[in-house]
Amino acid sequence: MRRFWIDTDTASDDAVAILMALRWPDVHVEGISVVVGNVPLEMCSVNARYTVELCGKETPVYEGMARPYLREPHYAFFFHGPDGMGGMNYPQPKRPPAKQHAVEALIEVVRAHPGEITLVTLGPLTNIAAALQLAPDLAEKIPQCYTMGGAACTVGNITPAAEYNIWVDPEAARMVFHSGLPVTMVGWELCRGKANLDKEDIEYVRSFGTVYADFAIDCNRQAIITNQEWLHDPFLPLPDPVTMAIALDPAVCTRKSKHYVDVETASELTRGMTVVDQLGVLNKPPNIEVCWEIDIPLWKETLYKTLR
Amino acid sequence: MRKKVIVDTDPGVDDAMMILAALRSPELEVIGLTSIFGNASGYATAQNALRLVELEGNDNIPVARGSDRGLVVEAQMLGTMVHGEDGMGNTNPPLPKGKWLDISAAQFIAQKVLDNPRQVTLLAVGPLTNVALALRLEPRIVELVEQVVIMGGSIGAGGNISPVAEANIFHDPHAAEIVFSAGLPLVMVGLDVTLKVIQTRQYLDKIKAANNPAGHLLRSILPCYQRYHDQAYGMGGDIHTHDPSALAYVLDPELFKVEEVPVYVETSGYGFGQTIADRRRQLGQRPPVSVCVEVDAPGVLALIEERLTR
Repeated sequence: MRRFWIDTDTASDDAVAILMALRWPDVHVEGISVVVGNVPLEMCSVNARYTVELCGKETPVYEGMARPYLREPHYAFFFHGPDGMGGMNYPQPKRPPAKQHAVEALIEVVRAHPGEITLVTLGPLTNIAAALQLAPDLAEKIPQCYTMGGAACTVGNITPAAEYNIWVDPEAARMVFHSGLPVTMVGWELCRGKANLDKEDIEYVRSFGTVYADFAIDCNRQAIITNQEWLHDPFLPLPDPVTMAIALDPAVCTRKSKHYVDVETASELTRGMTVVDQLGVLNKPPNIEVCWEIDIPLWKETLYKTLR
Repeated sequence: MRKKVIVDTDPGVDDAMMILAALRSPELEVIGLTSIFGNASGYATAQNALRLVELEGNDNIPVARGSDRGLVVEAQMLGTMVHGEDGMGNTNPPLPKGKWLDISAAQFIAQKVLDNPRQVTLLAVGPLTNVALALRLEPRIVELVEQVVIMGGSIGAGGNISPVAEANIFHDPHAAEIVFSAGLPLVMVGLDVTLKVIQTRQYLDKIKAANNPAGHLLRSILPCYQRYHDQAYGMGGDIHTHDPSALAYVLDPELFKVEEVPVYVETSGYGFGQTIADRRRQLGQRPPVSVCVEVDAPGVLALIEERLTR
């Protein structure tokens, strides 16, 4: 079994990504850490625990950072609904969050299994930055980190320059990117347009008739509306599940290369921009593996496998 | 009851003088030292923290090692020119006997403050990385800490590591911004007062002559620090009193006059690490902190001398 750790600001698409990992045959999720982002921390925690229970698992959910390093929280209710789950108002989870702080739990599990934990981050990088600050050795003990975040050489979504997860806590992201942690960056640009579930895809998922399939679509019902009205993008984008699909099956990413990537923290205009030195003009050692293309049918099939 | 104090420190020559004086102060119960990079590397300062508790038989006081770098920026322009590569005036002291705790400095601070609500004074005299991280790990610290007294910053005295930045803030301005914005009961002992407290060569000679382990150590590590002050400021063997002034505030706040004012920290550009006092509330609604603006310098000097020579 491959050991995974998921760090998430659990709202609708995070929940689908968590479900994918929990239902993937050769993966064991050691723990889930929640971080402020899409919704307040307590709500992330509730949503993550509900998702775990829906999958019939007992994966511990640890609560982490309740606010970004320096910036004020900026929630995305407009995208994920008032409960972060499309306004579905799912019942409260039965199990409480784990007692330990998420950052300490992550440090412990990585040190207990050096070289074995695949980290998947689906939210702002505040927990991860703090863990690396307290325990710099994590950078060499985590063999791979897949990060949903950023926009490689393209437009952003929360501002013209920046993708939401990085924009929410650019200082934390900058620290993580320069920490030596082997990060594969899955930008939001890979998770729009044709990568979205279109009308037919959604009908196809519904046809599975499983609780998982309905959950995946239902909890994203606000996202489907907002995405079209706000970003003029078709139907349902699933950035976190795309990232999880790459973590579960790296073949989903068909083109990637390593570059020097930095995060803008000084400017307000371009706050959180992920600046990829694609041409190597800065002559700085590459620090981030950037995904450029995905196999869209394979990504969707990876998702479907976990929903059937 | 003795005042419980955690000293967050990057020893450092003036840190060493301050810590030794603190450990010799009957009003204080030093419940731990937490180390931080700054005057020297994170490794060197952690070793020095251990050496300083061991020097006069305080081995029972735990040391937690903290960050080797800033929250966002890497360690840069360390104070090794001032304090020596080893932070001990290039004297290469022997290895300490003890070892730092398994938990890191920020965790230690959070734990102790929560375990002793409204009892712990945090005396932070290095970059504020550990303190900021503790605040983010455990936000209740804001309500539960008795007081945070820092050595750092400058609101009207210019900088020392840059034209406008004091070194502790410069080494981690993002952490400082977290600390200054947190709504903590915070006292800033910055260059506005520490530059006014001059330890003359004659004064230092008395400290060095004390026939105790503290005096012996200070005799060996101070010359490097005095040399730097002479090269940089032409002080002829005199030095400014940075960290010991912050300790003096903890021991006797009456020695200082404070101004209640919000402080903001610049995190980019030429002003990197500058502390900005917003006297007319033009930058926002940030809660004020207590900034020391005047000091009874002879009072501070007498207090430190008494502690180190008793």
